[in-house]
This record gives sequence, C-alpha cells and structure tokens, in this order.
Amino acid sequence: MQTRRIGALAVVAVILTGACSSAATTAPASAAAPGGSAAASGKTVTIGVDLPLSGGEFANGDPTKKGVQLAVDQANANGGVGGYKILLSIKDDAVNGVHNPQQGATNVQSLVADPSVIGVVGPFNSNVGAAEIPITNQAGLLQCSPANTNPGLTKPQYGALQIRKAFPNRINYIRVATTDDIQGLAGAEFAYKDLGKRRAYVVDDTETYGKGLADVFVKQFTALGGTVIKEDGAPATTTDYTPLLTAVQGQNPDVVYFGGVTATGGGLLRKQMAQVGMGNLAFGGGDGIVDGPGNVQGSFIKVAGAAAANSFGTIAATHDIPNASAFADAYQKAYGEQPGAYSASAYACTQVILQALQAVAGNTPQSGLREAVRAYATNPSNKFNTQLGTISFDQNGDTSQHIISFYKTDMSADGGVGNWVFVRQQDFGTSGSSASPAASQ
Amino acid sequence: MQMQRSIQLPARLEGGPYRLIGAIAVSLVVAYVLVGPQQFSNFLTIGAIYALIALGYTMVYGIIELINFAHGDIFGLGAFVALWLLTMGGFNGAINNPVELAVVLVALFLLTMGIMGLVGVAIERFAYRPLRNAPRLAPLITAIGVSFILENIMQAFFGPSPVNSPQIFTLNARFDIAGASIGYLNVFIVLVAVALMIGLQLFVGRTRLGRAMRSTAQDREAAELMGVNIDQTIAITFFIGSALAGAGGIVWALYFGYAVFNQGFYAGLFAFTAAVLGGIGNTTGAALGGFFIGFVYVAAAQFGYSRWFEVFIFGILVLVLVFRPTGLLGQQLGERA
Repeated sequence: MQTRRIGALAVVAVILTGACSSAATTAPASAAAPGGSAAASGKTVTIGVDLPLSGGEFANGDPTKKGVQLAVDQANANGGVGGYKILLSIKDDAVNGVHNPQQGATNVQSLVADPSVIGVVGPFNSNVGAAEIPITNQAGLLQCSPANTNPGLTKPQYGALQIRKAFPNRINYIRVATTDDIQGLAGAEFAYKDLGKRRAYVVDDTETYGKGLADVFVKQFTALGGTVIKEDGAPATTTDYTPLLTAVQGQNPDVVYFGGVTATGGGLLRKQMAQVGMGNLAFGGGDGIVDGPGNVQGSFIKVAGAAAANSFGTIAATHDIPNASAFADAYQKAYGEQPGAYSASAYACTQVILQALQAVAGNTPQSGLREAVRAYATNPSNKFNTQLGTISFDQNGDTSQHIISFYKTDMSADGGVGNWVFVRQQDFGTSGSSASPAASQ
Repeated sequence: MQMQRSIQLPARLEGGPYRLIGAIAVSLVVAYVLVGPQQFSNFLTIGAIYALIALGYTMVYGIIELINFAHGDIFGLGAFVALWLLTMGGFNGAINNPVELAVVLVALFLLTMGIMGLVGVAIERFAYRPLRNAPRLAPLITAIGVSFILENIMQAFFGPSPVNSPQIFTLNARFDIAGASIGYLNVFIVLVAVALMIGLQLFVGRTRLGRAMRSTAQDREAAELMGVNIDQTIAITFFIGSALAGAGGIVWALYFGYAVFNQGFYAGLFAFTAAVLGGIGNTTGAALGGFFIGFVYVAAAQFGYSRWFEVFIFGILVLVLVFRPTGLLGQQLGERA
C-alpha cells in the first residue's frame, strides 16, 4: 500500500517537473519611441536576449535582462539608432529552474532564424555559451555575454577553436567580463602582495574551472617569489579534507587557495580547516566561492559557518563602474529596484551592439546589417564607450578591460549573517601579468 | 597493504582467531609507520565510519543475497536524523559538561539508531519482502529505486546544499601523544565503532536470534522447517544493519558537522567496496575492509595522490574480484552471518 503511494507520488512529481519546462517568451520593448525618426520611418531591428530567467536563477537573469531593456528603452526614447527602432526578443535558457545548454542552443537557433535579429546579449553561464557559440558562429550572428568567464570560450590555447569551428577566424562572440586565467593570477597577486602570504597550499576540485584557476594561481604565486607547498586535487565527491590538510600542516602554509566552487568543496574545505586547527589561515578562491551572504542556502559563508572568516575571493568584473550613481538612478527609476551584479555589464553589451549599429547603419542595407554589426563590433581597432568604461575587443573577442574586483568575508556584515565586502579592484592590463596595483579605493 | 598478511589466511580461519588478530596488529604497525600518528588517527576515524556502513551491506547480503544499494542512503539519512534531533533538542554548540554530554550522546545514539533500524525494517517490509522469491535482478533494481527515493526525500526536506549540524562534541578537546594532537572525538568514534562491532559479533555468535540469522543465511528452507521465523529474522537483520549505518551517520554529523542529501551515494559505494574486499557476507571482513578503505584514502592524501583515490579504491576492487572473488577473508555466509 505504502509503496504504491510513494510510487504514485514519484510519477506525479515526474509529470509536474516535465510540465514546468521553460517556455521561450517574446516581448517587445516596453517604451515606444515618442515620434522620433525611427518610428516615423517604421524600420525596426531586433536584439535577442538569452538568459536564465526562471526558477532559482531568476535572481541572476532578471536584473541582467533589465540592463538590456534599460539601454534599449533609452535608445528608442532618443529616436532610435541609425534610423531604426529597436525591438527585443527575450529567451529563457533555464529548464526546471537551472540554466540549460540545450535550451540555450534551441533559443539561439530561433534567434538566428529571425532575419531582423542583429545581435544577442547573453548567455549568463559558460556551459550555455559553449553550446550556443557553434550555432551563432556558423550563422555569423554577434553575441555579447555580460557574465561568461571561462577562457575556453574565446582563447585558442584553451580550445576555443573547437567551439568556433565553422569560422575560426570570423569572431562573433564577445564578452565584457574578463576570464578565469586572469582571476587565478589576480588571486595570487592579492595573496602575495596585499596579504603578504608566502607559503600557499593549493587544492582544486579536478574540474575544468577549478583546475584551470588553481594552475594559474600556482604559476603566478611562484613567479612572484612565493612557495607553493603542494597542489592537491580533491574530486567534487570528496567529503573528508582532514587527511589532505594534515599532510601539509607540518609545512606551515600561511594561505590555502581553492580552485572550484562552493558546491564542489570550497565551503567544506574551509570548515574542516578550522577542525584541524588551521582555521586562522587565510583562505582564497575565485568567483566560484564569492556567492552571496550567509543566509543564502548553499553559499560559501553558509556552508563554512564561522570558519568563513578571513577568506578572500575575486570577481571577474569591475565593481566601481564610472557614473555608478547615474546608472543606478536610471535603473531605479525604471524598475523600482537596485541594479544587480551584472546589470551594468548587460547594459554595456547592449551599448556595444547599438554603437556598432549606429556606425554601420548609414551605408548598409537592412539585409546586410547583421554581418556589418558583427564585423564592426569584433574589429579590435573599434572602441566602445560603455557603462563599464571605454572598451574594445581583442582578436578572440575578449574585452580589453581586465579588471578584477577583490572581496573579503566580513562575518559582521548584513546584520551578523556575514557577507563578502568589496576591498579594491585592479586592472590587469592586456598582458595580464604583474600590473602595478592600481587600487581604486 | 594492511591486508597482505591476511591473504595467506585460510578462508575459514581454521587456525583460530589469533592469526587474524596478529595480522591486524602487524597491519596497524605498518600503517602507523607509513603515515605517522596524526594521519593514523584520521584513518582510524574515517575507516570506522566506512566499516559501520559496510557491516550493513554484508549482513543483508549474507542473509538474503541482496546488494542493498539503498544502504548508503540509510547512512545519509542517519546523519540527517542525528542533525535534526540535535537541532530540535536546541543544541547549537559544544557541550562542555561531560555528564551532560554523555547523557545527550547516549540518547542520540539510542534514538537515531532506533529510528534508522525501523526505517530499514520498513524498507525491507515494503520494498524487498514482496520480491523475495522474484528473480534476483528485481530486488536489486528496487534497491536502486529505494536509494533514489531516500535521496529525494532528503533533498525535499533539507535542500540540495550541505546542512550544518550542531557539533556537541567540542573539537578543541585534544590531547598530545607521540607528536600528534588527537581529538577526543576521534578516539570516541573509533571506540564506539569497535564496541558496536564486538557487540554484533557476540549477538550473531552467542544469542538465539543470532543463531537464527546464521541458520537462515545457511539454508532458509531448512531453517524454516526447524521453526525459525524467517520474516522476523530478516527484519532483525535489516534493523541491525540499518541501525549500524545510522550510528555511522551520527558520528559523521558529530565529526564533520554537516550532512548533504547525496552523501550516502559515494560513502555507500566505498563501503560496498569494503564489504566485497573483506568477503561479502563476512562481518569481520567488512569491518576490516572499511578500515582498509580509510587507510587508502588517507595514504593517498598524505602522499599527494588524492586526485587518484577513487582509481586506487576501485582498481583494488577489480583486482580482488579477478583474483580472489570471495574477498580477502573469504565468504563465510553460514559461519558468521
């Protein structure tokens, strides 16, 4: 009897989750152009948006989407761009509340098929990008990601040529966030120079992101003159870190760096450091552990508990944007809330597409706009004046702005629940190595 | 490494238990020399947890020849039950009064092991008993299904992220010996595990119910003809096995201070490997196998090969299955339940 009831429950659950799969939505830009030239001529172009917009990722995707919307609404209010009114085609790549590469691929396929789409803002997640770029590369459709950091999406030495296989030399994917290889380097600089640490113990989660981050950290920390006592790999299934920590305890490390995300062991490693008497050591990682305050279920600070104190992390984006208050005011006025972490980045992506459109619209027929916008935006000699500052994109589509923001845990922040607080940000230049610390705060 | 001496032992230990005890002693000395005192304590602690889980695997296999893949999740659920009881009890930190701590611990073990034992009995009653005479593949697949159900129940109640557990046993209570700093909690865990194992051996070897278990394992029909209540005996086997896994869950929650809904999956795989290493159906072998897995893990971490830990474990499993399929101590289905 009871088994049957459990079985029936399971069946119902499966049906429910199936029914909740995401539906792509299309919404026009909300603000109509007030009698500008664009509206008069009636010509329109579309900007596609692909972000996770439902379930648990709504908190990431929605403020990012609103950044795009704000830029488009402002452009339309000013009479459109290059004689065109801008429309939006918004797609959700989350399935059952989690970003989904297959859904992302389906979304960009429909955007590619729409001839009015001149560019796409998105995606948010690197693995979704890896599924989308082959499609947009084949079609020659410009994509600008506000948040992707995996170097493999752009850099040939990390395998990007496999992703843009159709036309390896025709760049169509650009991004305004810098990459994980610079994050690992920045982590080493911060540990060595800001914190004065000299003996590092490095653990990675044996996954692409984590191992890559840890390797760059080790290289840079050694180059700076520090000693890496040991580099260990602990698969995401590891639950007991005490033998790893015991093995290095006698060699007196003064900082532990973790390549990985909270869910693959960052929080547990930090928690168990306290357990074996290494709780006073500094602990660091990449944006995989800078994941919100201590009252968010599953965040680094929540999992590690009190042991999370004295930790640092990096975010591959600028924290101090120029004219931050003007942007925040405009956003607040439009949506009645504060901008999210990637709102300004999405706004900047939209600005890049619109400025490219502005530059080419005059001498390009509407049918050639998609290719002209792509060619203009990905040309390394073109500069764009964006909310993040003046940027251009290199021969792989990576931003010229290599700014990393540093954060530390403050267990008294947010009324005692603990949170990451901004320390400073630094531009790691184009070479990416040993730039002088240009602290902005 | 630890078991190399044991390989030469006859399958049924006809020479008496002294050779086995000698082999264990030699192995412990070798392990101590290899990894040093601090890691020695780590290995005994994690090994004790794996051993507690492995016992349930091996007992269930011994009596109904079912690889109970849900067993790892019983361990995971045990950690959550302990965590939940402690949270409900209003504990949120270390208890420094030894008398109070002892009372709380005894209550915690009795309650959690009792609850988990009943969960195990319920699973056997509703998921496995209806399939007792079905082809052997059917209960195996059912066991995997039960495993998923347990994991999803845990995820539904406690969420997909690790949940912090109150650590009532203060972690700072340590003593220094041989240049190592050993937590009293580590000693406590090993003592509890060894006590439970000795208790299990005495129960199976000396009591009426234990004799019923052994006879059921040897020949179910003959046992039934002799008046053994088969259903009751199998239910008791599940109760004890699940209660031991629950004890593993308790010490896990006390030691690591967290529980996560899928922790039983990998712990279960390692414990299953331990049971096969020792000779599935053989409780002594399962316990030793658990400690052996713990040692391999700690040695891999000590020498910088943690990346390869799973390769070592499952590589050893493959070698044992190829060259000594009955395990290092041999299957002793009839002898030791």
